[in-house]
Amino acid sequence: MKYLSQTAFRAGAVGVAILAANAAFSQDKSVTIGLTSDPSHLYPLAGEELSSNIMYYHLYDPLVKRSGDLSFGPGLAESWENVDDVTWRFKLREGVTFHNGNAFTAADVVYTVNKARESIRPGLVANIAEITAIDDLTVEFKTPKPYAVLPNDLAELLILDEEYTSATGDEQMDLKPMGTGPYMLGEWVKEEKLTLKAFDAYWAGAAKIKNVTFRPITNPATRTAALLTGEVDVIQDLAVRDVDRVKRDDMFNVITRPSLLNVVLAMDMRENSPTIEGKNPMTDQRVRQAIAQAVDVQAINKIVMNGLATPSDQFVPASHNGYVDSLSFRDMYPLDVEKAKALMAEAGYADGFTMTLDATNNRYVNDAQIAQALASMLAKIGVTLELNIMPKSNFWGYIRVPTENSSFIMSGWDVPAGDAGSMYGALFYTRGVKDGYGQVNRGSYSNPEMDALIDKADATPSIDERDGYLQDATKILMADIPMIPVHYEQDIYAARKGVTLEPRVDKFLWAYDMDAE
Amino acid sequence: MLGYLLKRLIQMTLVLWVVSVIVFIMMSFTGDPVFMVVPIDATDLEIEQARRLLGLDQSVLVQYWKFMTSLLHGDFGRSYVFRQPAMTLILERLPATVEMVVVAMVLAVAVAIPLGVYAGANPNGRISRTIMAGSLMGISLPGFWVGMVLIYLFAVTWGIFPSSGRGDTAEVLGLRISLVTRDGWHHIALPAITLSLGTMAILLRMTRAGMMEVSRQDFMKFARAKGATRRDVLYKHGLKNALIPVITIFGLQLGDLIAFATITETIFSWPGMGKLLIDSIYRADRPVIVVYLMLVALIFVVINFLVDIVYTLIDPRITLK
Repeated sequence: MKYLSQTAFRAGAVGVAILAANAAFSQDKSVTIGLTSDPSHLYPLAGEELSSNIMYYHLYDPLVKRSGDLSFGPGLAESWENVDDVTWRFKLREGVTFHNGNAFTAADVVYTVNKARESIRPGLVANIAEITAIDDLTVEFKTPKPYAVLPNDLAELLILDEEYTSATGDEQMDLKPMGTGPYMLGEWVKEEKLTLKAFDAYWAGAAKIKNVTFRPITNPATRTAALLTGEVDVIQDLAVRDVDRVKRDDMFNVITRPSLLNVVLAMDMRENSPTIEGKNPMTDQRVRQAIAQAVDVQAINKIVMNGLATPSDQFVPASHNGYVDSLSFRDMYPLDVEKAKALMAEAGYADGFTMTLDATNNRYVNDAQIAQALASMLAKIGVTLELNIMPKSNFWGYIRVPTENSSFIMSGWDVPAGDAGSMYGALFYTRGVKDGYGQVNRGSYSNPEMDALIDKADATPSIDERDGYLQDATKILMADIPMIPVHYEQDIYAARKGVTLEPRVDKFLWAYDMDAE
Repeated sequence: MLGYLLKRLIQMTLVLWVVSVIVFIMMSFTGDPVFMVVPIDATDLEIEQARRLLGLDQSVLVQYWKFMTSLLHGDFGRSYVFRQPAMTLILERLPATVEMVVVAMVLAVAVAIPLGVYAGANPNGRISRTIMAGSLMGISLPGFWVGMVLIYLFAVTWGIFPSSGRGDTAEVLGLRISLVTRDGWHHIALPAITLSLGTMAILLRMTRAGMMEVSRQDFMKFARAKGATRRDVLYKHGLKNALIPVITIFGLQLGDLIAFATITETIFSWPGMGKLLIDSIYRADRPVIVVYLMLVALIFVVINFLVDIVYTLIDPRITLK
């Protein structure tokens, strides 16, 4: 309301012309969204982080569309089929145009795949061995081996216009994007605002909200203030301490949903661990179980996270392939300090041992505080944790495989592809035996059964079989405990009443799905 | 004068070179930028490819050599994160910062000098004591706290000013300036006030101290005796002689604010270059940090040079050698 009166005041001062312009403007629905940071890129092959991802999906489309709840459906491709175990044929949508009017064809898809391979993000097309255009509206993908979730992977590959992109060049593509998406770039003033205009010829129908403005507001308190003053309609990442304040005001809604980001504790399983003197106790399953049973996830949630976390029951959420129904880490290893002490004694470590926990202080919600809480919890079973807390710019290099410095690591993992396969392959496959597997296996976990299941999952063209193998893998992991799942962070949004916002699991705010009064 | 200029120029080049070396050495401790760019589950091949694309596959010495040689061709290197020329990234954001700093400095001077002169001339008055107490607060209150309180009062509670952002801008000589629009002034008010308070307090106290010192000088009594008005005595004879230290501080503060308006910019989401520096440090984006700090060093050197020149204008006894 305050903002309205300001607007009126200003308009009155400037004159009738502005008033008329405002009136014409008001017929189009507009929404202003406060983000935590400015996007780094508008060119999908230039890099990846949340704010950029949000922009990419407004400006571009993938062949396969991932909806907010992680179900996959047709995007720029109408349908697809397996020709044989390694060949996929995708039928492209007819009559789709880029914002500049160029028609979308199979050549654009081929171009995008080849371009991605040379870019800084070759991972996008790692599971594509070959691509051919059969005709203008059909493309054929060959995977290096049977790979059931190729369509899920393709949901992250955003299609470029061959003619425009090759003429514009990588550097300018970051400033002048051109896609088939529901919105076109209006204006991008770095660190200040980015405006989008609805693309009226969008193939799935023009967006309801015609003008979207994104404003980067890094400071959480300022973001809340901008919402309260009406300068923005929606904010991302409402600060935990402001939740009650905003809820009290009946002009606003607070919307929360568990994210995909699972905070996990990885335990070293080598005979000798960098920060532990003597033999590494964590090679013994009983010690790992004792640590798991000493971690009070509820207390972390209540005290450190203000109740805004969801304790995780497995390594992936229920929406994913590989999730086993009615299996819960929390039921298998409930908090029980006495039991944990007994297990430690049984394993021959009644006096405990000392090791270092490596954690970040600017990557996850309250990460440093979680690390401190863990230290006091594990002290109860005689495990002395020395904390080694650092900013994320140092962290990833420090803990990197071959993990020469770490015994116990707190990090997070999220898998937006809706499938546990890539996570299990990267985190739990025996390291150093197969290219592209085990590259993030920081605890050096190795179980031949596990490797075999991942191999089988990655060799079947059937989604159901893959799901089955991955579920078996989950069961093994729950028994072996190479890692302790702690909790999923919650995404917290706030919006002015009248703005409809359905948060997506992958956090990619999408104005096309929103509406405003 | 020419010799002086030449000496200054050589000094400046030396300073810039040292800054570049220090930043390069410093940045080898702040983590590997490649891991900020690649996905967390990247394979070794992907990491190698990223390293090659960013030019990080060579040793630091080679990287430094390349940086220096391309610098001589006017190429300041590219940001690892944005993949844009580092200089462009900084220059894009420079006008917003300079604008806010200029408004803040003008505000600081406009308030500090008259109040400082008054407090210096009447050291025991009740008003002077109030002014001095206020200046103490201005020095001791941290900027982020003042900023948040101003937002809470003026934006959230009373709705007089917007909480953040820069507002409408217009192009003046190719630069985007918000000071030419009403909306722009509306947006700049709170951040400029926040930024100015500390400087205002320091300048005020320097002016007062200078004035008290000068008031005891004989020429002040002579001026009064020959019949000059009190106002003339204070401003023409007194202030002019009290100003040297004030100008030194003014120069230092100006450089300081341009270089490190970071906190104010973050709180008010002001799209300036201070925020870029902080983001770049978090992302280990060395090219941006190097160019930024070199630019800041340059700004300091230039401001100090200008301050020296101003000395000679104020006090004819000072000459540049």
